Amino acid sequence: MTTPTLTADPAAPRPSARTARSDAGSRTTVRDALSIAAVWFLLAAATTIVRPDFLSSQSLLAITFTMAISGVLSVAQGIVVIGGGLLDLSLPVALVVSAWATVTLLGAGIPDLIAVLCGIVSGGVWGLMNGLIIVYGKLNPIIVTLATGFGGLAIMMIGFKSAQIPSGSALRAFGLGQFLGLPNIFWPMLMIVGLAGLAIAWTRWGRRLTAVGGNPQAARARGVSLRRVRLATFSGAGAVAGIAGVLFASVTPSFTPNAGASYQLIVIAAVILAGISLSGGKGNFLVLLLSVGFLSTIPVSIAFFGLPPAFALIFQGALLIIAVGIDGFRIKRGAR
Amino acid sequence: MTTALAPASDIESPRALPQLLTYLRGPVGSIALMLAAVVVIGAISVGPAFFSASNVRIVGVAVAIPLIVGVLASFALLAGVVDLSIGSMVGFGAVAFNQIVASGVNPWIAAGITVVLGVVVGSINAFVIVGLGAEPLAVTLGMLTLLRGVCQAIVVQAPPTTLIEPLYDVTQGTTFGMPTLLLIGIGLTLVAAGVVSKTRVGRKIQAVGGDPRAAQRAGISVVKVRTVALIVSAVGAAIGGIFYVGQLGSASNILGTGLEFQIYAALMIGGYSITRGGVGNPIGALLGLLVVAGITNILNVSFIDPDYLDLIVAVILLAAVLVDRFRGGDAFE
Repeated sequence: MTTPTLTADPAAPRPSARTARSDAGSRTTVRDALSIAAVWFLLAAATTIVRPDFLSSQSLLAITFTMAISGVLSVAQGIVVIGGGLLDLSLPVALVVSAWATVTLLGAGIPDLIAVLCGIVSGGVWGLMNGLIIVYGKLNPIIVTLATGFGGLAIMMIGFKSAQIPSGSALRAFGLGQFLGLPNIFWPMLMIVGLAGLAIAWTRWGRRLTAVGGNPQAARARGVSLRRVRLATFSGAGAVAGIAGVLFASVTPSFTPNAGASYQLIVIAAVILAGISLSGGKGNFLVLLLSVGFLSTIPVSIAFFGLPPAFALIFQGALLIIAVGIDGFRIKRGAR
Repeated sequence: MTTALAPASDIESPRALPQLLTYLRGPVGSIALMLAAVVVIGAISVGPAFFSASNVRIVGVAVAIPLIVGVLASFALLAGVVDLSIGSMVGFGAVAFNQIVASGVNPWIAAGITVVLGVVVGSINAFVIVGLGAEPLAVTLGMLTLLRGVCQAIVVQAPPTTLIEPLYDVTQGTTFGMPTLLLIGIGLTLVAAGVVSKTRVGRKIQAVGGDPRAAQRAGISVVKVRTVALIVSAVGAAIGGIFYVGQLGSASNILGTGLEFQIYAALMIGGYSITRGGVGNPIGALLGLLVVAGITNILNVSFIDPDYLDLIVAVILLAAVLVDRFRGGDAFE
């Protein structure tokens, strides 16, 4: 990931204020984590009561498989939201750009490792482009990424109708494989969530990100360059989306340019459900992992209940509405 | 197309010139210039056929329903609460209306039920956004997904076909040589423009969208204005759905998918913003939709891959928000 070298000193710590805030922060984090875990458990329990065969390695495989790609993409969205970049609506397109770059290079006979790296870099370049437009145009990220997502999808539609990963490649073999009873792609996701969580909490880059997201003016007053942090935020998120794209390519035999669209809602829902407020500055990636797991269980449970897949959309949409409703109510009450 | 007349009319009264210049410098002015450019490009690349009655009718029919939905949704934008769920609401309205009519209910009653469904959806949005204070973008994104799921749950196999004579006449017929539905849409736009720029209600909505706290202090009920705006937006989408059933004779479960982005892209080109309220005028919405419809038509007539449309719209959208910022719009950071 990009670690911007900033000229200014790191934000000067203000001990009393910081500990007070992080105490309150960790309390809400624990509450968020517990409530999501509880709802997740309830869902699993309810499904098991109706269909005892839910508790099988098959469901576990299905859930972890869904978790892998949406989890990585949620980390990308989480970075943007925590960094005060509101939302990156073009992440599904970044995912497909990276997947397309990866399989095209593989098809041209480029070694797997280089193809994968290029795929990740292409995601980063996509994010950097968004960042440059946002920073130098001083435009709202939601509108910019809406437009670039629109335009990027159109360019891909003009360029290719569908892309296939070469079936003999090592990346494809990786995508089909399992490790410790779970899909291979689940493990990189777990690593990225862990790394992102550690980076946010312990590195200078992470502290800058939360500082800029929480209060840009204060961060700037302390000598943090907003431009560099914003550029790093969007390129970093793009690169993480690039990793999601590589994982996506490894498990998908053939995809169209529009293949990323289905991730948009689940990713935004996961971020908001995890208590990563759109106003920026706070968020915990472990809670994000729980919320991705919960949302990924819904379609599997729906299938076990014998309901058509449309009900997964209804539940996920309703959940997002309820989650933001509760979040908004909490902020409103806290502000009084 | 109406813009071609604008320069001619100001020659008559010299005093209007400075006024016109300030007008042209505003958002509606730049979008009018863009529309003029599209018309010129159409005239050059397509030729006289671009202005033929049948071609104008094609554009008019294509733009009419998005115009009705967009103008009513623009009140929510103006009040500072974006409603992303309109695309699925159009689909839900159409599916509900189509299924109710197919089950043998009188079309007028079915239309009434559909409008009530719009009110219900708008009220839920309003309760969560205004009542609980949630982020409008996230709430209506959830509603967008939820309603799409409802459409897919209702329509599992091929949807029934319905032919409702009076509705078909309205949506496909012509009055004075123009598509009737387009005339309704333009009439609605003019009424909405009058409400926004000339009435107290319009000023209230703009005040709420521009600075909700100041509006609250001035004694305007932010809750009431935003609630009504969100209900109007959802009802507009429901009515759009009814008209689509009239036009298509049926309603599939994917009807209206992505319509919200097309409409909001056009509205933002026309001077609205999905991230801040208080800006924009229904006339701008009309011109923005005409620009997009004009480009679509040029691409269609010239047999160019329709995917280029989204690319062109994206570029124009970025240019429009950039111009808006140079004009003194909100800068991010």
